[in-house]
Amino acid sequence: MSERLEEICSIELPTGESVGVHRRRFTGGLGPHVAIVAGIRGDTPEGTRVAHAVARHLSTHHERLCGTVDVYPCVNPLAAHHGARHWPGFDLDLNRRFPGRADGHAPDRVARTLLDATRAADMVIELRGAHPAFREETQAHVRHDQPVALERALRANVRVVWRRSAELQGTGTLAAELPGLICLEGGVGNRLTDGVGLELCDGVLNLLVVAGVLPEDALPFHWAAIQRPLVATDEDIVRVRATRGGLFLPSGRMWGEVEVGTPLGEVVDPIAGETLEMITAPVAGRVLAMREQPVVYPGSLVARLVAT
Amino acid sequence: MSVVFRLEAPYRGEYALHRLTFGGNGPAAVAMVAGLHGNEVNGIQALNLVAGMLRVMRPKRPVHLLPCVNSIGADEARKRWPFDDRDINAAFPGDPEGAPVERIAAAVMDATDAELCIDVHSGATTVREHPHARVPLSGPELEHARAMMLPVVWRRRGDRYEGGLVGAWRGAGREALQVRGGRGLALDMDDATTLARGLVRLLAHLGLISHQDTGTPSHDTDHVQDYRSMAGGFFVPEVQTGERVVSGKLLGLVRNPLGGEPIEEIRAHKAGMVLAVRVYPMVHAQELVVRIAEDAT
Ligand SMILES: [Zn+2]
Repeated sequence: MSERLEEICSIELPTGESVGVHRRRFTGGLGPHVAIVAGIRGDTPEGTRVAHAVARHLSTHHERLCGTVDVYPCVNPLAAHHGARHWPGFDLDLNRRFPGRADGHAPDRVARTLLDATRAADMVIELRGAHPAFREETQAHVRHDQPVALERALRANVRVVWRRSAELQGTGTLAAELPGLICLEGGVGNRLTDGVGLELCDGVLNLLVVAGVLPEDALPFHWAAIQRPLVATDEDIVRVRATRGGLFLPSGRMWGEVEVGTPLGEVVDPIAGETLEMITAPVAGRVLAMREQPVVYPGSLVARLVAT
Repeated sequence: MSVVFRLEAPYRGEYALHRLTFGGNGPAAVAMVAGLHGNEVNGIQALNLVAGMLRVMRPKRPVHLLPCVNSIGADEARKRWPFDDRDINAAFPGDPEGAPVERIAAAVMDATDAELCIDVHSGATTVREHPHARVPLSGPELEHARAMMLPVVWRRRGDRYEGGLVGAWRGAGREALQVRGGRGLALDMDDATTLARGLVRLLAHLGLISHQDTGTPSHDTDHVQDYRSMAGGFFVPEVQTGERVVSGKLLGLVRNPLGGEPIEEIRAHKAGMVLAVRVYPMVHAQELVVRIAEDAT
């Protein structure tokens, strides 16, 4: 039984400095291997917070561990250093660089090193932040053709499990390389959100029980407290867009139940102040995401609903 | 000049997509686009030089120019659409009901309904590129590229299926190619002028204008070699874009940025023409420092 901080890769900078990419490895005998990856983009501090909250629990319970848990608190440290989405200098989205290249530049090398280190794991959990302009309910994303991942994600303590088609995952993402990956997200982009960190931390710990690396009685809560999520396909997720440009003033409540026609907010002229558009729910369901950054163009996404 | 698309822009009125059309009646023969990336000003300059020529030459059939698609990005010296930092060139073929960049992309597709379409770019802000055309290994685009007599024609495997605006044009059944020159964020007058002369030569070759401009045939190759630094450091080039190099020629030195000691010599493996040179010297390990269009074998 051990706990180690390991450098998986070092990023050399032109000035001669170097920055390490680290993982915290918790080992407790023979058993499954789980990887928890946060901070592929630099604007996801919630993921890093959750990673360390999980790690803190593991370091006080690692005598109960059967297997190995690797916690990657932030794989894109240079972007996280200034809260940016993209790898600075190169201006690359690290989550478009997988599978990466062992002989490539630093972003490609980090992508390849991370993929090689997680490819054989029995379970990979990616902690992703919400888009910076949005507040998101807690959700798990799994690939639609991965029944094991779906079954596990149902126990991730989230509101919604979204079964996504492979095409919608995008190319070059870690999820595209690891079909069984469970991606957890929630909260507000580039911010910490009350409650969300705890919900996701409990979800990750419960997934460690599901994977068999942690016994149920080592959980800091009773398993019955875990939320039962809605399961949604791509068709159930409805995007609501502004048709006018202006300031979007939301009136919908996160996870609130809506009927067709329930007000979600209005777009007002930011100079003259008049209402340009009332935005209402096009379907019955619940509010999964709501725009927090209020400036919108015609076509900007203002809310995402789960149709029920 | 006409506005072919408008988008309500909060706080600042509207975004307008401008198009200049020269000559003739009937369906458009050629459409040229620049400034999809707002900071790539060499393309904007090249199309404005072409516009100056077309004002006096009156082409036989319509030629559309869209010199500055990402005008808000251009105002702010930014490559992507500033509102949400999305790349317009990644939003094609676009969606008239979608997000702002998707609407702009759809409008660009509509506004460039021509037999032959050309997208003009610069290099990255850190790399200067010698004016060249990127085309598939064969087909009509290759002939058009040769008619331009730009310094280099780069025939690329798989280009038939590329993404972005050029890919969307081909998907819509139009002949399409990309030309590039200079670097982002800077006006490289020689490169912009070379691009403009190539575009005008092409219009003459297509019989749309009568214009005599002799040129020399392009350095035409499908072998392009990237040279990368092994280690990071401070790259000092020993060559310029467009220069001919022989095998073994010193292309540049990577030095220690603190003290200047040499770390690495970068030499050409094969003869060719310098297609791109890194102009921002701080270089990370395995980043591009020089690109050579090798001589065809
Ligand atoms: Zn460009």
